[in-house]
Amino acid sequence: MRLTDRGIYWVLATVLAAAGLIPEFRSLGNLANVATQSAALAVLALGQTFVILCGLIDLSVGQLTGLIVVLVCDVAAGRDAMTAPALLLALGLGAASGAITGLLNNRLRIHPLILTFGTMSVLQGIVFTYTDRSVGRAPAAIAWLADGRLLGLPVAPLLVLLLAAGAHVTLTRTRFGMHVHAVGGGRDNARRAGIDTDRVAATVFVISGVSGSIGGLLVAGRLGVGYPHAGAGFELDAIVAVVLGGTSLAGGRGSVAGTVAAVLLLGLTNNVLNLLQISSFIQMLVKGLIVIGAILVNQPGGRRAFA
Amino acid sequence: MSTEAERPRVRPAAIASWLNAGWVERSAIWVVLVALLGVAALFSDAFLQPSYLFNMVRQAAPVGVAAIGVTLVMVMGGVDLSVGAVISLAAVVAAVLMDGQAGNIGYALAATLTIGAAIGFANGVLVAWNRGSPFILTLGTAVAVYGLTQIYSGGTARGIVAPGFREFFNERIGGLVPVLALLFLAAATIAVLVQRTTRFGRSLYLVGSNPRAARLAGLRAARLTVTTYTLSGLLAALGGIALLARSGVSSTFAGRGFEFDALAAVVLGGTTFEGGRGGVGGTVAGLLVLFVAFNLVNILGLNYNVQRLVAGVIIIVASAAYTYLTSRRLTESRLWPSHHTSEGAP
Amino acid sequence: MKTRLTAICAALVLIVAALPLTSLAQGVEAARVQETVATARFKRAAPYRVGVAAGYLSNSWVVFCLQHIRYEAARHKEISEVLVTDAGFNPGKQVADIEDLISKNVNLILYWPVDEKAIQPALEKAVVKGIPTVNTGGGFTYSPGTVANAFIDQVVLGDMVARQLFKDMRGKGKIVAMLPIAGTTAAVDQLAALRTAMKEFSQIELLSAEYGDWNRAKAKQITENLLQRHPRIDGVFSPAGQMSIGVAEAFEEAGRLKEVVMSPGDEYNGWLKWVAKHKRGGAVTFPTRVGQEAVRLGLRILNGEPVKRGLTVPSEYISPASISRYVEPTRPDDWWASTLPEEWKPK
Repeated sequence: MRLTDRGIYWVLATVLAAAGLIPEFRSLGNLANVATQSAALAVLALGQTFVILCGLIDLSVGQLTGLIVVLVCDVAAGRDAMTAPALLLALGLGAASGAITGLLNNRLRIHPLILTFGTMSVLQGIVFTYTDRSVGRAPAAIAWLADGRLLGLPVAPLLVLLLAAGAHVTLTRTRFGMHVHAVGGGRDNARRAGIDTDRVAATVFVISGVSGSIGGLLVAGRLGVGYPHAGAGFELDAIVAVVLGGTSLAGGRGSVAGTVAAVLLLGLTNNVLNLLQISSFIQMLVKGLIVIGAILVNQPGGRRAFA
Repeated sequence: MSTEAERPRVRPAAIASWLNAGWVERSAIWVVLVALLGVAALFSDAFLQPSYLFNMVRQAAPVGVAAIGVTLVMVMGGVDLSVGAVISLAAVVAAVLMDGQAGNIGYALAATLTIGAAIGFANGVLVAWNRGSPFILTLGTAVAVYGLTQIYSGGTARGIVAPGFREFFNERIGGLVPVLALLFLAAATIAVLVQRTTRFGRSLYLVGSNPRAARLAGLRAARLTVTTYTLSGLLAALGGIALLARSGVSSTFAGRGFEFDALAAVVLGGTTFEGGRGGVGGTVAGLLVLFVAFNLVNILGLNYNVQRLVAGVIIIVASAAYTYLTSRRLTESRLWPSHHTSEGAP
Repeated sequence: MKTRLTAICAALVLIVAALPLTSLAQGVEAARVQETVATARFKRAAPYRVGVAAGYLSNSWVVFCLQHIRYEAARHKEISEVLVTDAGFNPGKQVADIEDLISKNVNLILYWPVDEKAIQPALEKAVVKGIPTVNTGGGFTYSPGTVANAFIDQVVLGDMVARQLFKDMRGKGKIVAMLPIAGTTAAVDQLAALRTAMKEFSQIELLSAEYGDWNRAKAKQITENLLQRHPRIDGVFSPAGQMSIGVAEAFEEAGRLKEVVMSPGDEYNGWLKWVAKHKRGGAVTFPTRVGQEAVRLGLRILNGEPVKRGLTVPSEYISPASISRYVEPTRPDDWWASTLPEEWKPK
């Protein structure tokens, strides 16, 4: 494998070593915080990994997260009895949104960037027409999922590890996973090889939608209220994490481990910049430079990615 | 005289070449605009009043000027999403450099345009020498530019507009046409002329539609890329100046979200990510469609956020319609974004 | 059309039903503001590290407020440093910022929220650890995570603005209201105050309440459409000066500025310049010095002195005639009249 594929791990190790020099960083509490703070992004990035590996992209997942945060909190209104219905609502909505996007993608033959840009706008309109202010309250079980502890370890990162392991196995050991790589590597060739490319494409969008559901549950649990702006910009962060982790935007190449490492790197960077009291304005500049850097090191090896 | 056997062959070819001329695509959006205006007029006769319509053009001017640049970049096969950030920066820088003195206007405008061009140049260099996605790259530039704007301004939109500056642009000629609207339309006209008659314009289309052939024809894609992105940055800065003229000093994020409205207008107008087709004329029509829709939502008293919903639906429907119109003359593999066939990367 | 009608009916019913409740609610809130807080457990010895968890810093009012905080902190030797975090309008980040400040062992947290409810759990963690929290400038919060509030009463402010407007309008006419971001305490309280004041002026009619999000350009665009929809608007209720400029410009460009009365705005410099030029409008202040009051309040808590749950910084009315004492013509529009010494003003 090429150096750039492994590059993310070197960068992560370097930043970890540097961060270790800051005393406040080293506390277990701080490390647990970083892991918990990055959990929702990690879940979204996992879903986006599937989509990008397939040669597509999903810009709508951020606003979908926002919609789920609002609905879960508003429907549950803090009542524990509503936990199960809220969970089902979240998962169902995410899957449905993904299915619709997948269907539109297969039927309408428009560029997924445009399609998901349009669905992102629609979802944003729905969220803010539903409410323009925070509503409801997350039930205790969901708050525990986002913020709580199990046997002394924070729950959310454990959930992320579980999902990441599942994603990794799916992509590397199942037939579906191989199909995803194949379609990403060349849609025509995949179709000629007998793969039902439409179904694979629709499935990855559903996966992305469900990742939005789980991410939305984590954000809802962490904030405790249905804040409508909660999802804004999340999709860009997820895409950046995937790209930074070594997955090519042209499709066909990439890994789950790289994505998780990238999410950790982004979370660490935020934490270190905060602990060093770097002004948030400079943090913004740094974030932009990281995005640019991510693209620059992400060489698709001979094939130009779309747009 | 054609025989029975010949006629079926001739007609499809004629239709195909008619479609190839892009005539249908280019006029489709204008038809939609007129139809939408008609529908809007049913709801409110404001849409029949010239002063209201010109005011709408003035509202659209900042986004529109930036959208011209985005169009040119997209015709070439790229995309520039940093325009919103550049607009914000330009509005702040221009006001700060003016510092309330009319004598500073010339210098302030020149410096602002230069900064915009410089950012565009940086974008162009990054895109030209890298195979990554300009979509994500320019979004990254946008975040960096927002950071720069914040650092430069310290969080408050410091800056004092020079007297006379805003009054000049908001003046209505003949009591009707705002100067700003006129300038936007002038810029669009110039851009249309450039894209149709100059060699630069034609090379944009060539590189966008067939990068390999363009290279064989001796066009240097890298140089063209840098030039076009620089132009886009310059136009975005001009859009920022237009925004300052229209709204005065407001915030350090004044242009936030403009890149998405610009992209929507461009896509509505028939320019696609693949490049090689569309143009500024369509963008102007697409922009007006968008703003008529926004103002209609407002006048109906609907929730301001319904605008987003409407924008999203319009984009999807319009893109699907365009793809359908052009699908008959393209092979299926061409529809998919990843160019895995022989039309590979330049 | 039908859903709009239903929505309007439902809203009317709710408003009518809520009216008696609002006065009850105001009574409850007044009692809470006066409640004494037991601060003995927060008492500790100097030196103090003060943490400021800002929900956002990209807004001139909060930039000034922060300068007031720094200025006051510099006047007290027992404050060793001031740490500032910026959540950039992201409540998730503000939660993380508060957690980071706790990790850095601050002794006091001053904050203004992006979203109050979202950060309460994080604030509670601070309080449990013995770090007092003071809400600075936001809406009054009564919750375990907030030990005390230094704030400006938006209901009183809204009431002052409304009554001055009605007085200038001679008690009758049609008005529109321009409010900040929907759902914020400012928006909710200002509208509530307007409606309460309107009860005493039966000849005032509210045509429409709009949300301009403290954005001058957006307020202008909304007003342009309002001017289309309503052939006659006699008055504008707009306590936020930044938006008032946009509204006034829209009226001016439509040639209808003469027929409308602008309510007082706040001490946003751009608005003060407008008032000085047009000699009407005036201002009801939204003082940025609440930052200094918050620091002093925090110090008293750290000293173990009992304090009240809510400390209000009063708003004052500035008439158009006295505006010249407050406006700074050589400074930018995006600036605030304040009591800051020259060297402490933002650079």
